[in-house]
Amino acid sequence: MRGTTRTVAMVAGVSAVTLLAAACGGGDKGSSGSSSSAAGKTGGAVTVRGCNPQNPLIPGNTNETCGGNVLDAITAKLIHYNPTNAAPENDIADKIESSDNQNFTVTLQKGYKFHDGTEVKAKNFVDAWNWVANGKNAQLNSYFFEPIEGFSDVQCGDADCKVKPKADKMTGLAVKDDYTFTIKTTEKVSNLPVRLGYTAFAPLPDSFFSDPKAFGEHPVGAGPFKFDSWTKNTEIKLSKFADYKGKFPAKLDNLTFKIYQDDDAAYNDVIANQLDVIDTIPSSALIDDKYKTDLPDRNLSKPVGVFQDINFPPSKVDPAYADPKVRQAISMAIDRQTIVKQIFNNTRQPATGWVAPVVDGYKANACGEYCTFDAAKAKAKLDEAGGFKGGKMTIAYNADASHKAWVEAACNSIKTALGVDCVATPVVDFATFRSKITERKMKGMFRSGWQMDYPSIEDFLAPIYKTKASSNDNDYSNPAFDKLLDEAAAQTDAAQANAKYQQAEALLANDMPVAPLWYGTAQFGWSDKVTNVKVTPFGTVDLTSLQLK
Amino acid sequence: MYKYILRRLIQMVPVLLGATFIIFAMVFALPGDPTAGMCGDRPCSPAFVAQFRTEHNLNDPLPTRYAKYMVNLSHGDLGTNFRGVKVAEDLKQRYPTTAKLAAMAIVFETVIGLIAGVLAGIRKGKFIDNLVLVSTLLVIAIPVFVIGATMQYYLGVKWKLFPVTVSSGATFYELLMPAFVLGSASIAYAARLTRTNLVENLRADYLRTAVAKGLTRRRAIGVHALRNSLIPVVTYVGADFGGLLGGAIVTERIFNIQGVGGYTFTSLHNRDGVAVVGTVTILVLVFLLANLLVDLLYGVLDPRISHD
Repeated sequence: MRGTTRTVAMVAGVSAVTLLAAACGGGDKGSSGSSSSAAGKTGGAVTVRGCNPQNPLIPGNTNETCGGNVLDAITAKLIHYNPTNAAPENDIADKIESSDNQNFTVTLQKGYKFHDGTEVKAKNFVDAWNWVANGKNAQLNSYFFEPIEGFSDVQCGDADCKVKPKADKMTGLAVKDDYTFTIKTTEKVSNLPVRLGYTAFAPLPDSFFSDPKAFGEHPVGAGPFKFDSWTKNTEIKLSKFADYKGKFPAKLDNLTFKIYQDDDAAYNDVIANQLDVIDTIPSSALIDDKYKTDLPDRNLSKPVGVFQDINFPPSKVDPAYADPKVRQAISMAIDRQTIVKQIFNNTRQPATGWVAPVVDGYKANACGEYCTFDAAKAKAKLDEAGGFKGGKMTIAYNADASHKAWVEAACNSIKTALGVDCVATPVVDFATFRSKITERKMKGMFRSGWQMDYPSIEDFLAPIYKTKASSNDNDYSNPAFDKLLDEAAAQTDAAQANAKYQQAEALLANDMPVAPLWYGTAQFGWSDKVTNVKVTPFGTVDLTSLQLK
Repeated sequence: MYKYILRRLIQMVPVLLGATFIIFAMVFALPGDPTAGMCGDRPCSPAFVAQFRTEHNLNDPLPTRYAKYMVNLSHGDLGTNFRGVKVAEDLKQRYPTTAKLAAMAIVFETVIGLIAGVLAGIRKGKFIDNLVLVSTLLVIAIPVFVIGATMQYYLGVKWKLFPVTVSSGATFYELLMPAFVLGSASIAYAARLTRTNLVENLRADYLRTAVAKGLTRRRAIGVHALRNSLIPVVTYVGADFGGLLGGAIVTERIFNIQGVGGYTFTSLHNRDGVAVVGTVTILVLVFLLANLLVDLLYGVLDPRISHD
């Protein structure tokens, strides 16, 4: 995803707190994220921490967690991600078939209903996807539909959309009958079914198209919960959808998202049992694992699909970092282990590659020695490159989130190992920081991060390092890498596709477009009243399994 | 008197216009594009950016934007913020909560501040005076978020005497602790102001005369000395009301109160100019009205001050 997807707050670190709060503990993939087993009861009402949605609640236009968590609970998609290991499971889809990774036939299960009583049919998907993809509608998540044939024809002719799109519909989508439709992609895509679980792919009821604005205030989905009310700035209320016939029904009768502006306030409410679930622990409570004593047996730390790194500037902006050897030297000069321990209280996991361990296709140690701290080797590498020619190094960060401590620590580590002065450079806030990067005016290194859109190794590679990819902030381009990605996308066998992606990832070690730092983990806490709190690899609470004791 | 009030009210118009323009221009001048941070670490799609910019008039030069805003404002339309919610709707919900909080803080400030100040003033140099001096010094020295978080933890989380956070209803009981926290520093200042002025007036000739002609100590202090000592205190409290309205950001965050402080902060952070201007314009108006009220109160406290 081009956008950082939903957890804007997390990766962007609008709240630094969230950033601080990542990652503890074992990164073994597939470790269960559930609280001690549970004989909870069915029914009852629960309040979870929410935040203010930044946009009206339309699946195609919601790319941050605040609105995303709500929409996730009220929509059903073709695919459902297993809350424990993120494995894709069929939800509305009965089957998704393809023999060539380019022509897909989707068959729907019968009996799914929208909350307004209408049945979920093939055209609800096709119409919804065409609408979201259409440039006229300017939806934030439209890029998800980029692989589908005809996507470029539904884009506006110019930036202001004065030149209207050539077509209204993508040629790649066709309704066969009420319960079957086909998808044709422009190029081969091996993991298309995995992507279809993202909220942007949710079907929309017929009523949506007559009045999208009203829908945004009162969304209608086909999911286990239905939307009841939204008191702006205060709370969003959902209740169990009685007619839900799918495999993942809600156990609770009522679910309220209470909107908080501050993590500490929510945290204190959970300790006092006035709030049931929080999905971030404030940094103050992470120190010495204070939250584990405050919330005994009602806390959890789990690896999530977040990757953080130091980005090197494009060589035309700042040639001092153009030599891969310089970049490798810098990467080797960063003592990840110590920073994670001393600054993040072990709520991060030192990175050994470019792909987070929670996804299918992850291979440990892709970065090898270049991500292992070794001051002597780092210095030798820099000497081999002929030293650093840019004077002093800088690492920029947005000062409105708590990045200062770790950036300074990383700089100190570099300075000590390489003997080159390194300065942590604050940029006033996130908006300014991003502007400088996208306008290619950011000299020196800068922090960045990636939150996965869907659980696949491909999502950590293609959108960031492919030539001219949407999130390729440093203009990295390697034809061999691009070729491997294309080959991987053409593989019909998942294991073989992953092997190709892993080969591509291995190339990054030679070029070092970004220096991997650490993978995220998320910390959760809950009240005495609830049980069966499962945390997904996306760092969200699985609301359908949540129960009262 | 009425002429004076009318004149002051008319004077407010250019002040308000100037203030809105300055605020508008300042938000406009902030670096960073509003859409740059909207999609996390990644750029938003050009189609979205284009529509967003058109919708919120971001492509117009400053004077055009300001003119469009003022035209809407003259119809009573405060515009729509970046989240697609009417600013007027947000403010209608948030201002009453913040006003309630600020009013309660002012009550704490005047009642506790005055009592402490008077006690310290009439027992100058004694134990109670020292106690007030030391305790107010302490309160002034400790940042408000420390006081807030500490009180929240002990009174709310640990001893469960007060609610930890404020619900959507923002009831009187829920707001008690936040209002005290918000007003704490002001209580200290009000007490110190009262004390200093009272001590000075107690030494004044007119008070010696009053006592000499046979007035009771209670009446001499309560009516004559205190009344004259209150002018600076009233000035302070009046100006403080506006300050408490806008300055409640920290308290609002700690107790999760959905008020204007947090709204201004997030709006500024998102470069949401329309929301900031709407909120701050009302703040400016409150400031001006509070100042007018203070000026009128001078006349009541000291008849020598005339507004004619």
